Amino acid sequence: MRKLLGLLSIAVCACAHAHISSNAFLTVSAMGSQVTGTVELAIRDAELAVGLDSDGNGEVTWGEVRSHEAELKSYVRNRLTLTSCDISFGALRVNARVDGNYLWLPFTAPCIGSLQELGIDYRLLQDIDPSHRGLLTLSAWGDTQTGVLTPGHGRQSFALGRPQPLRAFAEYLNIGVWHIWGGIDHLLFLLSLLLPAVLRRRGGQWEAAPIARPAFVHILKVVTAFTLAHSITLSLAAFDVVHLPGRLTESVIAASIIVAALNNIFPRVTEGRWRIAFAFGLLHGFGFASVLAEMGLPAGARLVSLVAFNLGVEAGQLAVVLAVMPLAYSIRATAFYRQTLMRWGSSAIAALALFWLVQRATA
Amino acid sequence: MSGRETGLLLRMQMRRRSIVAVAATALGGLTAASASPYTPASEATVLANVPAGARHSEMTTRHLARDRLDVALPLAQLYIQRARTTGDLRFLGYAEALLEKWTGPEATSAEALILHATVLQSRHDFIQALAVLRRALALKPDNPQAWLTVATVLRVLGNYDEARAACGELSKRANAAVTELCAQGVRGLTGQLPSAYEQIQRIPSREMPDAERAWRDSELGEMAVRLGDDTAAEHWFQNGLRFSPDDFYIRAAYADLLLRNHRPREVLQLLQGRESLEPLLLRIAIAQKQLHDPALEQSRARLSAAFSAESQRGDGVHRREESRFLLEIENDPRGALKAAEANWLAQHEVDDVLVFVNAARAAHSPHACVPAMDFVRAHSIQDVRLDSQT
Repeated sequence: MRKLLGLLSIAVCACAHAHISSNAFLTVSAMGSQVTGTVELAIRDAELAVGLDSDGNGEVTWGEVRSHEAELKSYVRNRLTLTSCDISFGALRVNARVDGNYLWLPFTAPCIGSLQELGIDYRLLQDIDPSHRGLLTLSAWGDTQTGVLTPGHGRQSFALGRPQPLRAFAEYLNIGVWHIWGGIDHLLFLLSLLLPAVLRRRGGQWEAAPIARPAFVHILKVVTAFTLAHSITLSLAAFDVVHLPGRLTESVIAASIIVAALNNIFPRVTEGRWRIAFAFGLLHGFGFASVLAEMGLPAGARLVSLVAFNLGVEAGQLAVVLAVMPLAYSIRATAFYRQTLMRWGSSAIAALALFWLVQRATA
Repeated sequence: MSGRETGLLLRMQMRRRSIVAVAATALGGLTAASASPYTPASEATVLANVPAGARHSEMTTRHLARDRLDVALPLAQLYIQRARTTGDLRFLGYAEALLEKWTGPEATSAEALILHATVLQSRHDFIQALAVLRRALALKPDNPQAWLTVATVLRVLGNYDEARAACGELSKRANAAVTELCAQGVRGLTGQLPSAYEQIQRIPSREMPDAERAWRDSELGEMAVRLGDDTAAEHWFQNGLRFSPDDFYIRAAYADLLLRNHRPREVLQLLQGRESLEPLLLRIAIAQKQLHDPALEQSRARLSAAFSAESQRGDGVHRREESRFLLEIENDPRGALKAAEANWLAQHEVDDVLVFVNAARAAHSPHACVPAMDFVRAHSIQDVRLDSQT
């Protein structure tokens, strides 16, 4: 056997090709006080670390992976520390790489304070394979750096740099637009208030507004009031002047949608709807602020980022108004709009918002 | 965190991810293979085959083995052997984990040091490997494996005089067949190719264990290639694969022969199911290119991802392959030349010369490979593939 080993070393060595070593891929993006990213761990390595092959037949199936999802996540959490950040994982997926399939684990990690550098303590596979490495790709403010994480070498630090104001502006503008499109509750509130803007109330019935100008003024008033109101509270909350508990804010936002929708079916406020927009807009502002609290504002560009986020929200909201209201105006005289949509559309919105209210109040 | 916030967080996350993906795309490299995570359609989908020796259920044994030299050695040896026959580098890491405790500065086990050197050699860390082997020989000057490994490493480094001397030391301590293979291998590289080819064929092979036969056949196959006798080479490679079907080195050499003779379909057949080995995937990609097979794109992306991961690690295990990849697949002669130059600093095998010369010619920098051509002349290395280059 001894000789054979030596022999093998020549026989194969002249060749000395080989399969790739064990790598895990850590892709991280840092912004403000929020880190997001993915960990990719080879299924081969995950099997050694956690034990995935329940039936011991040498094949790891998706079902076996799924049934060990909790252990996998706790293994990674115990062995991957981002200094002063708290990692939580999203849904596990699979990614095919050159040497086989990898488990693909997305994560978000809110961090304490605004990130200037990221400290990583990496210990995956530490006691299993000393040649294992974590290959890091770290992006912050449009710059990408790479690094190699050696298990058990303690905390390695990566400087994140400071954002250019322009870069921070673009990033947060983008987040603002995206947030308003993704956060359907703000839009439903606004649309509930805007639906009747192209109508007028006569003798207990909705009828089409005869000319465009009052309708336009009406829309302008509602949108402006909403914008002003949430800008005020968003700024106050972002600079920690006022703070409301998230659950309360979210519940009241849901309630505000119910009020706005019911007002279309059983009109109480018909002329001054901008007042509703303003009053509840103040609360929606706290809702927006919770997004920012999650993301954090970058040190050195706090004001710029806040303004950009707010402008993004306005732009996103305006785009929706511009897309929907001309259409509403053109079909305002139809029975479908005046009765079906006003009554049943509003009822549906109110029902959905009621569901949210219960969900949020009891969460 | 409320339900809504969680949903929000996830949406934010998805968006972040797309930014990351875009950034990665802009970077090239890691991209194509890493940009498309998916959820398998069925619970029954098999995602990986875990080879014996790499299962969680064996971890307890492994941990226990670390503290027992008499258990750690054979187990590490087994892992190294697995790495060698299958090309699966992870097994080298498992062996390292077992040996860690026995290879520190105070090490007293020559066997552990030799195994450690073998791991280093497999990672193409030849200089370190030699240093560790010298420590092993200081402890046990009569160890034949140590001498054989020294000879091998020196040969890869192109240090033929010392390699010959190491084979001489081996002859006092090992059987005739092994000694002869060692010595004739070096002769074949130093101006005596036809005679060395004859001599090796004369070694009685009936009694040889399979691994020795595979070594003999692969040595003969390579010599036949260098002599320009592809028909004979094919015979030796096929023979070698009969004795050692998992020997990916013979498979790669055979694939190169087929590619040179424009037989890409046979390459795909020969290497089918072995795509996870980078050197073999490279040959598959070259065959796909010859066939104008659209599957090339996937192979290209995977190779590119693997090479960039390796360079990020700082490994140089596959620089020769990387050079060929850049030249033959990516049409990047400059990049190929850079990789070939780096490769030449680390190792001096005939294939390294070839890769270097090809890259230099393609990059219109024939002077770049002068060191390699000087090396060929100095040792009178014969190879018809080099003749056709000059």
